[in-house]
Amino acid sequence: MITLTNVSKQFGRDAVVRDVSLQIERGEVYGIIGASGAGKSTLLRLMNLLETPDTGQVTVDGDELTSLSSRQLREKRHVIGMIFQQFNLVANKTVYDNVAASLKLAGRPRETHETRVLECLRFVGLESFKDKYPAQLSGGQKQRVAIARALANEPHVLLCDEPTSSLDPNTTAEVLGVLKSINERLGVTIVIVTHEMDVIKQVCDRVTVMTDGSVYETIDVIPTGVADIDDNPSWFVDQLKKAGEPHA
Amino acid sequence: MPEVLLQYQTEIWQSIGETFIMVGVSILAAVILGLPLGTWLYLSRKGQLLENGAVFSVLNLVVNIVRSFPFLLLVVFLIPFTRLIIGTAIGTAAATVPLAIIAIAHYSRLVEQSLLDVPRGVVEAAVSMGASIKDVIFKFLYVEARSGLVLGLTTSIISFISYSTIMGVVGGGGIGDFAIRYGYQQFKTELMMYMILIMLVFVQMIQFTGTTVARLIDKR
Repeated sequence: MITLTNVSKQFGRDAVVRDVSLQIERGEVYGIIGASGAGKSTLLRLMNLLETPDTGQVTVDGDELTSLSSRQLREKRHVIGMIFQQFNLVANKTVYDNVAASLKLAGRPRETHETRVLECLRFVGLESFKDKYPAQLSGGQKQRVAIARALANEPHVLLCDEPTSSLDPNTTAEVLGVLKSINERLGVTIVIVTHEMDVIKQVCDRVTVMTDGSVYETIDVIPTGVADIDDNPSWFVDQLKKAGEPHA
Repeated sequence: MPEVLLQYQTEIWQSIGETFIMVGVSILAAVILGLPLGTWLYLSRKGQLLENGAVFSVLNLVVNIVRSFPFLLLVVFLIPFTRLIIGTAIGTAAATVPLAIIAIAHYSRLVEQSLLDVPRGVVEAAVSMGASIKDVIFKFLYVEARSGLVLGLTTSIISFISYSTIMGVVGGGGIGDFAIRYGYQQFKTELMMYMILIMLVFVQMIQFTGTTVARLIDKR
């Protein structure tokens, strides 16, 4: 699905990604983990050419991205969805218009927009929020809108850049649940970059550990499933106690 | 109605009309040329979509040069250019030339600043969705920066009114010129005060409208 071949990227004199090769298979949930500064976000951004590699090839769905014309690349990006740590919604557009924007960019026929937008919002459980503005939503809800926006054009791949890193445990579970069902029900290949080990353990089939711009190791894992978390304060107490008796 | 206003009402209406023309042309120039110039300034900056050091330096320098002229000197300096375009350097039409030029420079800088306030991530998300430069500008940047753009234009319009008051030096007329010639030079202090009052009302109305519109369209 996605193949990186000897990809390197430098910012000024800093080599952020050094000669990385990896292959992501269709339909898997692929994690990339590492300390901050390990180059994992840059690696992800190379997969839709938000960053252009200095050397090496990036192939998505059989297309070598660096050889595409800028128009072809834009078309290609319609089927490579992406979500971000800071959600990056347009604050002056309603939830509905945020999702519709991606359909407009892809040049889909106008009369199909409404059905598709509502379908995507239903998928993330936010249909009733369509007329709200992002400022009126919680972090988890914003991320779900961003997911709906990324899903609108039926992408083959969803790139997730620290998707839960600014969310609390509760909403993290909510967002991970949505990502998992996108993978299972829609067959979308998912790549998640994160520094949160729990996220990796819960949803990923395969994980690459990065250090200092290089691949340290890639391992197969069996996802534990998304942890059930509820709002009940007793849950937090239980979690705390599980980790050892609280200090007196 | 005070007698002095009735006595001069023809001249007052005419000078208000001249101010409207001068400020109106400035606003048009600001929107039609200043907005794209400011957008280009922003886009050519380091790290932006059309990053180009040479283009940015040139645009930046030109805008700075125009804005660093004391306005009166700019008017005089531009006389040959005005004559070339309008055919004369005297009158209300001629006065619109230097006003339009300062308007473009003034508003472009405010546009650039408003666009810099748009979170970088929004542009990045747009690009990741396959947006072209044109899409990024019209469907993302201007949407997200719209209240700043309106507030900037409001500030600019009020400056244009102020700039227009000195256009009497090239026979441009306007309220400011009227206030000086009749009110100040003919010692009709009362008349001058009324003219200042009229300007004050205009400025208040513009600021109120601008602030209200900016607030209503800001959903951030």
